[in-house]
Amino acid sequence: MRLGKTETDVTSSIPIQRTRNRFLPRWAMAWPALGWWLVFFVIPLAWIVVYSFGAKPAPGMQGPVSLSQLSFDNYTSALSDIFFRVFVITMKTAGIGTILCAIVGFPVAYALALHVPARWRTLLVFLLILPYWTSFLLRTFAWRIILAPQGTFSHALEYLGVITQPLAILDTNTAVQLGIIYNYLPVMILPMYVSLDRIDGSLLRASMDLGAGPFRTFWQVTLPLAAPGILGGLLLTFILAAGDYVVPTILGGTKGLMVGNLVATQILSAQNLPLGAAMAVLLIILLALVIAVAGLAIFTVSRSLKLMRGAAL
Amino acid sequence: MAAEVELERVTKFYGTFKAVDDVSLIIKKGTFVSVLGASGAGKSTVLRMIGGFEFPDYGTLRIAGRDITMLPPYKRDVNTVFQNYALFPHMTVAENVAYGLRQDGIGTDERKKRVRDALSMVEMLPFAERKPNQLSGGQQQRIALARALVKRPSVLLLDEPLGALDRKLRQQMQVELKLLQSQLGLTFIFVTHDQEEALAMSDSIAVMRNGRVEQLGGPTELYDTPATAFVAGAIGTQNFISGRRLGNDLMMQSDDGAVFQVGRAAPGLAAGVRVLGAVRPENVALARAEPLSVPNRLLARVTASVMLGDTLEFLLTFKDGKEFISRIPRRNAEVPNPGTEVWAYWAPESLNLYPFEDLQVNTNAVRKDGN
Repeated sequence: MRLGKTETDVTSSIPIQRTRNRFLPRWAMAWPALGWWLVFFVIPLAWIVVYSFGAKPAPGMQGPVSLSQLSFDNYTSALSDIFFRVFVITMKTAGIGTILCAIVGFPVAYALALHVPARWRTLLVFLLILPYWTSFLLRTFAWRIILAPQGTFSHALEYLGVITQPLAILDTNTAVQLGIIYNYLPVMILPMYVSLDRIDGSLLRASMDLGAGPFRTFWQVTLPLAAPGILGGLLLTFILAAGDYVVPTILGGTKGLMVGNLVATQILSAQNLPLGAAMAVLLIILLALVIAVAGLAIFTVSRSLKLMRGAAL
Repeated sequence: MAAEVELERVTKFYGTFKAVDDVSLIIKKGTFVSVLGASGAGKSTVLRMIGGFEFPDYGTLRIAGRDITMLPPYKRDVNTVFQNYALFPHMTVAENVAYGLRQDGIGTDERKKRVRDALSMVEMLPFAERKPNQLSGGQQQRIALARALVKRPSVLLLDEPLGALDRKLRQQMQVELKLLQSQLGLTFIFVTHDQEEALAMSDSIAVMRNGRVEQLGGPTELYDTPATAFVAGAIGTQNFISGRRLGNDLMMQSDDGAVFQVGRAAPGLAAGVRVLGAVRPENVALARAEPLSVPNRLLARVTASVMLGDTLEFLLTFKDGKEFISRIPRRNAEVPNPGTEVWAYWAPESLNLYPFEDLQVNTNAVRKDGN
């Protein structure tokens, strides 16, 4: 049969009348935020980039950096073996940390958004961010007590027969890894929770109504709709973890180094701000590359899955 | 193919609230049935149980004779058009319509053909590659319909699908839905709170109240011979007069003493009990001079007149403060100004008696207590 003409459908065609101020452009309201961003983010970052081309001031000179001669020298010395070794370790620690955060965090976010009764949700989200009310430093330091070779955790594991010798993970990469997962788990859970919570329940019912079981509904409706939150959580966790320097400093000792430590050492101990700046710029560039490659991989996979499914029409 | 739907003594609790109370209903195959009720009457719960989104605490549901009471939604030969359409925002229109066919593993060629057919049926083929948020409410509604019908279910459930549309579009869709149903020969179960909509579209209407089916019948039957005062008030408009039945006769005496002749008394109405008399506004005529030949007449004052297009509606107030509505075709109407006194009168056949019940919440006509 023929349904009536769609031209008669006028429900969405009424334009919204907006009065515009002649004297102030529309983006005037964005100035405070733009100004803040410029002063506290763009300008300092620009200085870091400029510094990275400078040189360590000669004894007796004023200021942190000598900019009389600009060169790539800092980059040449930054691109050393040790930098790459530490960079690879950093990527591994941040990468594994991000993946484990996602594996632990997604079920939590999922249960919180879709299975916990609404009246409990606020309380549980509050409990999730409650640890953030204490100092980051303090919380990380507390892990030293937990992970100490003579600590309770070690004793408990020994008692249970899981290990035979005292736990020897403090001041190693393993401790750093644990600290990273612990610290960034809420950063992963919150964006995931928000995107899952926003999914309209009737969409899941519609999927079931059209013949998809719970598993297919999850893959075809829930996951794609939550994708922005999941990707956001992955990105946020990865970037924060890769740039972290507190956790490796406190839990990593001399063995568990990350790039953040290298940068901090150059700037704070070696008083070589230009070299530290060059390392920081390198970290930004390499991180951007890694993320671009990961993004491309995700895009390729989802595109080929779509192609495999075939067009609907 | 179309199938019969049967509810047998179905009860559903939400906590301690009895949302559906011992409902038995047989929906004949290939018919358009509306479930009419106010919010909280249990109509949506009935629909959700047929769709498989809620499971009854007691009772049995059958489709085409097969027990489906505890079957999950994806194992039922039923599809739903949701109130908010529930189109998948991350898929194109064509992907939305193809979704159900993909779940059934329909081959590519047939799938494409059926998607195309379904979209042309609702005249939305040119919009196939759009995303749902690029469509108007009416267009989304058509896509939701196409998505449900492309699976060729034996029963289609519609959960107030026209509620979000403007009046003109809604009336147009009512006609189209009705045509579609009779051409496809499917069983349509349509939930609505709009009695005009139910009257316009349905082969039969189940009027629900407090989780129970108050009456099931065709539109004419419900309009002309409602079983209870509630149904009488829910379908169309009624003026109610509370009073007492005089003996076993077709007579009633109102609370303030006036005696009226009655056309019909509800079956099983005992002698001398408290009753509600009901007369429809279109049966109440007005006259300046006392119509001595008519037994049912009352002197009233015109409080307001409302122009409804082809008819005029008069709001009348009697001496004791009770209100009455009269509706008169415009070309016959001489227009009494507000404040003038007129005689309201109606034929005995148009006054029906029902067992007395508290209708305060449900009637927009006369307040029965008169103060």
